[in-house]
Amino acid sequence: MKGIYAALSTEILKTRKSKMLWISMLLFIFIGLMIGILMLISKHPEIAGKSVVINTKASLIGKADWPTYLNLLIQMVLTIGLIGSGIVTIWVFGREYTDRVVKDLLALPVSRIVFVLSKFIIIVIWSIVLLLLLFATAIFAGLLVNLDGWSPALIRSYIILYFVSAFLTVLLCSPVALITCFSRGYLLPVAFVFLTLIMTQFVYAAIPSIITYFPWAIPALFSGVAGSDMPHPGIISYSVLIITSGAGFLGTAAWWRYADQR
Amino acid sequence: MGKVILTENLCKYFKKVKAVDSISISIGKGEIYGFLGLNGAGKTTTIRMLLGMIRPTSGSAYLNGKRVSAGNPELWENIGNLVEIPYSYPDLTVYENLDIIRRLRSIKNTNEVNKIITKLGLDPYRNIIAKNLSLGNAQRLGLAKALIHNPQILILDEPANGLDPAGIVEIREMLQDLAINKGVTIFISSHILGEIARFATRIGIIHEGKLILESGVSEMEKLRKKSLHIRTQNPDATKVLLENKGFNPLMSVGGSLEIHDTEALMNPEKIAVTLVNSGFPPVMLVVEEEDLESFFLRVISMNGGIT
Repeated sequence: MKGIYAALSTEILKTRKSKMLWISMLLFIFIGLMIGILMLISKHPEIAGKSVVINTKASLIGKADWPTYLNLLIQMVLTIGLIGSGIVTIWVFGREYTDRVVKDLLALPVSRIVFVLSKFIIIVIWSIVLLLLLFATAIFAGLLVNLDGWSPALIRSYIILYFVSAFLTVLLCSPVALITCFSRGYLLPVAFVFLTLIMTQFVYAAIPSIITYFPWAIPALFSGVAGSDMPHPGIISYSVLIITSGAGFLGTAAWWRYADQR
Repeated sequence: MGKVILTENLCKYFKKVKAVDSISISIGKGEIYGFLGLNGAGKTTTIRMLLGMIRPTSGSAYLNGKRVSAGNPELWENIGNLVEIPYSYPDLTVYENLDIIRRLRSIKNTNEVNKIITKLGLDPYRNIIAKNLSLGNAQRLGLAKALIHNPQILILDEPANGLDPAGIVEIREMLQDLAINKGVTIFISSHILGEIARFATRIGIIHEGKLILESGVSEMEKLRKKSLHIRTQNPDATKVLLENKGFNPLMSVGGSLEIHDTEALMNPEKIAVTLVNSGFPPVMLVVEEEDLESFFLRVISMNGGIT
């Protein structure tokens, strides 16, 4: 893989210098704190005073204890994780088109597939860092709120559940990259990310028989937050997810290699 | 001697539109090839095919004898390019933008970035982020990216865009120096013949996707129309006189007479003698050469006109 180090180092430089990195990190810290605040209100409803909206939201959470809180966090990683890694993907690939610099990467002594690979490496690292920040901030907020039911064993099991769910979610960023490159902009892939969220809900509600084969539902099925009556994903489910992810990656690489770059 | 840049019947159709239609060009080492055409003539599409950015519908392109293909990254080691308006990463400085290209071109010596910054006169803007650069300096940054690795082939798409007159002269001299003293082969597109003819060794004119004229710059001089312009105190009577002598003078708007006859153009002094002897001494008598832009537009209009 000649040039992978150079490509990766330039991707790191571009990411480090972009406002998007810092904005996304602040946003995920903010979301983590907000979940904590919601638990605080759930525990002490008098804080929100007469705000019906906040009280209703907080009361939906149920009990203000660690198992409930960590379950909420898993739900967050499935949705925020998908949106977050989707936006990161759209940014990493889309900026080359919107900044109109993609042509500078095409006639260089580095294979185009190396560029695609280095971008995916950055996307995975960036997304995992964001979800790590969300987890750390939420745990910190949970400790501040002083929720009931803390135990190191509970946290340990949820850490594994959280990060495997996060990883499975992040794997689904590759089709977003393909759509970004195909559309050469931001709008279509953003619509696609939200469509996958809606479609997951639709499949869950309308055709649950195929839910174990619907790639975007598999992280939720793995985590168990979809409900105890939902099937557990099997080897075919994971294969579907990996094939979807692989197809997105290969499709993106093929797009860079074979499509006309106008 | 092997051709450094070669295209064989290069064609590109976008659906039914023929953007480039059977372009065959061959350029030797150290040549500066001016690729001329109006906007939309097919210049950029040709350049993108030369750089492997788009695939030809048919035909092929070769650089240094190797077929251009997106799957052959080694091909670009000795090639510098600038395509259309040069954009750079807007949030990165001039230095950082060039450092990215240095890394991707596997240039170990970081000082090469400083050298090219100085060479292109970008020292005062070294730490300015690209989005705050003027168009001229953005163009210089684009050229710096194309030149940082001292390429043997340069493929430049309208590099004079956005440069002020002093900048145009500076870049022209730099490119001339590279071609003459370093043997760099340069393919440069433009829509201004007057500019390109100053330093190109050969000119190709593309119109509606077709190469309609290819000529060395010195041969092009012969293709340009010449005319003899005469002004006397009595233009009407002079016109009659010249007609009687077998010429075909045309009256121009300013009151001068214009003759295109070869004999008059070859021997203008004989016309002067005739006029003096006939009592119409010329107050002006000059052989004028068709200017380059008129020549360019005439060549295009002979090939389907401007659509």
